[in-house]
Amino acid sequence: MRIAIGGKGGVGKTTIAATLTRLLGRREGGALAVDGDSNPNLAVALGLPQSDAMSLPTVPRNVMERRKDIDGEEKLMLASSPEEIVRRYGIEAPDGVRLLILGRVGHAGTG
Amino acid sequence: MCRNHATVRSLLAELVGTSTGPAVADMEAGLENFSRGTPRHADALLVVMEPYFRALETGARAVELGRELGIPRVEAIANKARTPEDEIAVREFCETRGIPIAGWVPYDEAVLAAERSGRAVLDASPDSAVVRAIAGVVEKFRDA
Repeated sequence: MRIAIGGKGGVGKTTIAATLTRLLGRREGGALAVDGDSNPNLAVALGLPQSDAMSLPTVPRNVMERRKDIDGEEKLMLASSPEEIVRRYGIEAPDGVRLLILGRVGHAGTG
Repeated sequence: MCRNHATVRSLLAELVGTSTGPAVADMEAGLENFSRGTPRHADALLVVMEPYFRALETGARAVELGRELGIPRVEAIANKARTPEDEIAVREFCETRGIPIAGWVPYDEAVLAAERSGRAVLDASPDSAVVRAIAGVVEKFRDA
């Protein structure tokens, strides 16, 4: 089950995403939260201490690499398996949730 | 930031059949995600909508774009309704556009109180209306 949460800014996406992930984690014995929103709020909404939120590790850019697919076309792909990425960069949160934080604002224009 | 979109997209694609359990991606606000296909490989897209026109309009567009990406299940979550009028506005808006509503998460001071204390609402107010409503949404997602 992979759920994407979207919507306009400020509508409460992050609170809903965090609570949903933890409740799924409780039921399923673990879950993965992916913070694609480039802000540290998901970590706090998941219940991680606010004092740590700004210093949590983020997933580095080099988890993606350019490789040729079977048609010889260059594409950005994951450089290792998702399990490996979660193992290396996943931050432990309550209810068996692991959090991956992707980049932060301040890098706009470098992507 | 385009690499972030690609990373979320690839993670969602490759998580199938792994031991990581269910995954929830909190996407960047707005619609850019959709032009980049970020949620393409999700099993479900939940679009959070607030009962005011701009949020509903953006939400409806997100639903449309999510469907175009071929996401099997695209539904709205009606968030922060304060009054029966708010609920009617969201219900009518979604009905007109054929958007199913996965859950109604009411406006709840517990969210603000949790934010102020730097805690998760699930820890600060586990019995709040917000938590109960989200638990209801979770019930609708069983290993689909």
